[in-house]
Amino acid sequence: MVLATTSDPRSFNDILAKETSTSLVTDLIFEGLTTTNASTTKVEPNLAKSWDISEDGLTWTFHLREDARWNDGQPFTADDVVFTFNGLIYNPDIPSSARDIFTVDGKTFQVEKMDDYTVRFTLPVKFAPFLRGMSQAILPQHKLQKAVREGRFNFTWGIDADPAEIVGTGPFKLVRYDPGQRLVFERNPYYWKKSFDGDPLPYLERIIYLIVPGVDVGLLKFMEGTLDGYTLRGMDYPLVKPLEAKNNFTVYDLGPDTGSQFLFFNQNSGRNPQTGQPFVAPYKLAWFTDLEFRKAVAHAVDKEKIIEIVDNKLGYPQHSAMGPAAGFFYNPHVAEYDYDLNKARAILAAAGFSDRNGDGFIEDPRGNTVEFSLYTNAGTTERVDIAAIIREDLERLGMKVHFQALEFNTLVSKLTSRFDWEAVILGLTGGIEPHFGKNVWMSSGQLHMWYPMQEKPATAWEKRVDEIFDQGVQELDENKRKELYDEYQLIVSRELPLIYTVLGARLYAVRNKFGNLKPTNYGGVFHNPEELYMKEGYR
Amino acid sequence: MWRYTLKRMLVAVPMLLGISLLTFVLMRVTPGNYLDTIRMDPQFSKETIRHYEQLYQLDKPLAQQYIRWIYNLLHFELGYSFHYNVPVHKIIGERVWNTFVLSLSAFLFTWCIAIPLGIGAALNRNRPVDRAVQFFSYIALSFPGFFLAMIFLFWASQTGILPLGGMHSPDYDRLGMGGKIVDLLKHLVIPTRALSVGSIAALQRLMRGNMLEVLGQRYILTARAKGLPEGRVVYHHALRNAVNPLITLLGYEFSSLLSGAALIEIICSWPGLGSLMLTAVRSKDVYLVMASMLMGSILFMVGNLLADIALAKVDPRIRYD
Repeated sequence: MVLATTSDPRSFNDILAKETSTSLVTDLIFEGLTTTNASTTKVEPNLAKSWDISEDGLTWTFHLREDARWNDGQPFTADDVVFTFNGLIYNPDIPSSARDIFTVDGKTFQVEKMDDYTVRFTLPVKFAPFLRGMSQAILPQHKLQKAVREGRFNFTWGIDADPAEIVGTGPFKLVRYDPGQRLVFERNPYYWKKSFDGDPLPYLERIIYLIVPGVDVGLLKFMEGTLDGYTLRGMDYPLVKPLEAKNNFTVYDLGPDTGSQFLFFNQNSGRNPQTGQPFVAPYKLAWFTDLEFRKAVAHAVDKEKIIEIVDNKLGYPQHSAMGPAAGFFYNPHVAEYDYDLNKARAILAAAGFSDRNGDGFIEDPRGNTVEFSLYTNAGTTERVDIAAIIREDLERLGMKVHFQALEFNTLVSKLTSRFDWEAVILGLTGGIEPHFGKNVWMSSGQLHMWYPMQEKPATAWEKRVDEIFDQGVQELDENKRKELYDEYQLIVSRELPLIYTVLGARLYAVRNKFGNLKPTNYGGVFHNPEELYMKEGYR
Repeated sequence: MWRYTLKRMLVAVPMLLGISLLTFVLMRVTPGNYLDTIRMDPQFSKETIRHYEQLYQLDKPLAQQYIRWIYNLLHFELGYSFHYNVPVHKIIGERVWNTFVLSLSAFLFTWCIAIPLGIGAALNRNRPVDRAVQFFSYIALSFPGFFLAMIFLFWASQTGILPLGGMHSPDYDRLGMGGKIVDLLKHLVIPTRALSVGSIAALQRLMRGNMLEVLGQRYILTARAKGLPEGRVVYHHALRNAVNPLITLLGYEFSSLLSGAALIEIICSWPGLGSLMLTAVRSKDVYLVMASMLMGSILFMVGNLLADIALAKVDPRIRYD
């Protein structure tokens, strides 16, 4: 199977690097104790075959598979699990985002080996995302312990490593990496999973990932037949779809993507500590913190048009903070804002915004013209297009909008440290676990972008959202948890700190030569590489 | 000659220092740093980001960072790449080589086509052959290389004769020695063409002009008058003099190819220095950018030096001492 990726992996070390180009590689090689079922999005056993929970919900005992082996033939045991947590994730010398996930209120989990195939986790407080978090990749103690002891771990399993050294329990192993060119994987002969009929998995002998930085070249490579699968953009669809039968492939539309795009205003009432100047001019801050103003803007976002122009009619309007792709935790019953400029004008007029001096622009009650700058990051044509569409409608409402596309790094430093911006269009990737959005939604989070890192919640509704996240993480009853997160989605849809636009569609084109292909919205088309096989005639 | 070479190399040292300082300052005064991408990731806490800052020494003063880098450079260490988390030299070694292979191929192709074409055009001045060559040169000159690369790629996707970008086929590691060479040559065709078409057109016109100028000289008339065969007049007397000015160009052409290949590399997915540098600049991977800049500059300087030396060898009128 030959697939493509747009950039080189950063590392083969799952603890140190976590972005897409790396996890593409590490997902094939490593496994966690649990995994998420790609169709139901429920947590399922993986390296752990079962688990028990104590009455108080604080002690979790995992029973490990006894037939799992590392791809160099060594047995997988409880020592590896204990090592991954105590030796790596909780090691103060190793920077890792995994530590942030497994630290609750500044306290870590206690991880102990009971016997060779039993591990016990003791949590300081109840932690609902725990089981899903246990999909954390387990790394081999026998390969890495020496590096940790010698303080070399931060530079181990980098992209210069010998592929044979990179040992995991997953279905495939890395055999070759040519920087800028390709990654070659071969089946792991020791893989524990068996097919329904008891055949050893995986079926595929080799998976090759070509590194193709240009998306258009990648598409050509797929059409020509070098690649067996490709992620399509909305704009590719009308070009590719008609060739399905002729070129013997299938285009899968798997529904809405998780990545959201939204517009938000700066509501930061703080001052620059060096100059003593407010981050946002006080009269503008008054507009941005005015819910009616934000509502009017929300009514001016033409989602249909964005879907038509940006996503080639293959998009979905987004209303809720968690998209439909979030599955269980998605709340479809939230406040929605239809595109209606007259309604927007009425709301603005009621809030005191109108064109009093007849210059074509509206003024606030104190006579200041409504004028602000709108930023997004250059490089994503999608956001630049969305910004252009929204700006046009805002100008129809009589607002003066200065649009500018900034370099990503510049925009980030404005958002996270300098706070000198007025309106921004940005996107975030989402997931199915609501708690992992706490950095965005809790008022103390550094990604609480409209007013980050608040000492105490600035508004009553932000206080309530903080409470929901604090409670939600400790609630082990799934249905009660859902009620809490439903409430937060409803609150933020009413308060509009982020004004959502649209969600793209997840589109894939796959050559018709694989059996057992089970595309799902959550997992995409190749979430079960171990089960895929080449159909007769393609081998 | 040796003294001259040595002098040139000594002059290069402050120049390289200047380039590295400028690159460093530019990379650091523009807003943001490498960790910005992580800052926008909901799964990273402030503590972890601070941890990374310490690891990458981004919390130290600028001057200290630069001096440390120079100090390491004197020990032949180019620093660590933030993005790839390995020493920079491990990443760029292969990339420099790949860019070199592509540049050399484009360079050879350009010169092997352009020189004979220029001579031919000059000898057939104003005849249909010459007119045709000049006409196509104009067209070739007005097409940007990257656009040609796209056209070639599209053509390749329609016909399926040539591979679509990249340096090797997916099954490269399973090919024999001969197969590997053929595979590489096939992958070279499109980027080489895209890089050379413009230069062939330009160089051919230069060659034609030089040749015509020399052919009009009195000594050519003398040579013809004393009854030398035309072939000897052209290839022995005229060509040697006509090619001289192009030698200066040779080094310059080659070094500019090395730096100018970046766009073509990106379009054709050629795993060279250019595409690496673009991602490095965009993600603010400072030391990787500096090392790539340094490599590019060194290649450029060496190219120029070689051209000057070659000129002295060919043209007896030029002496550097």
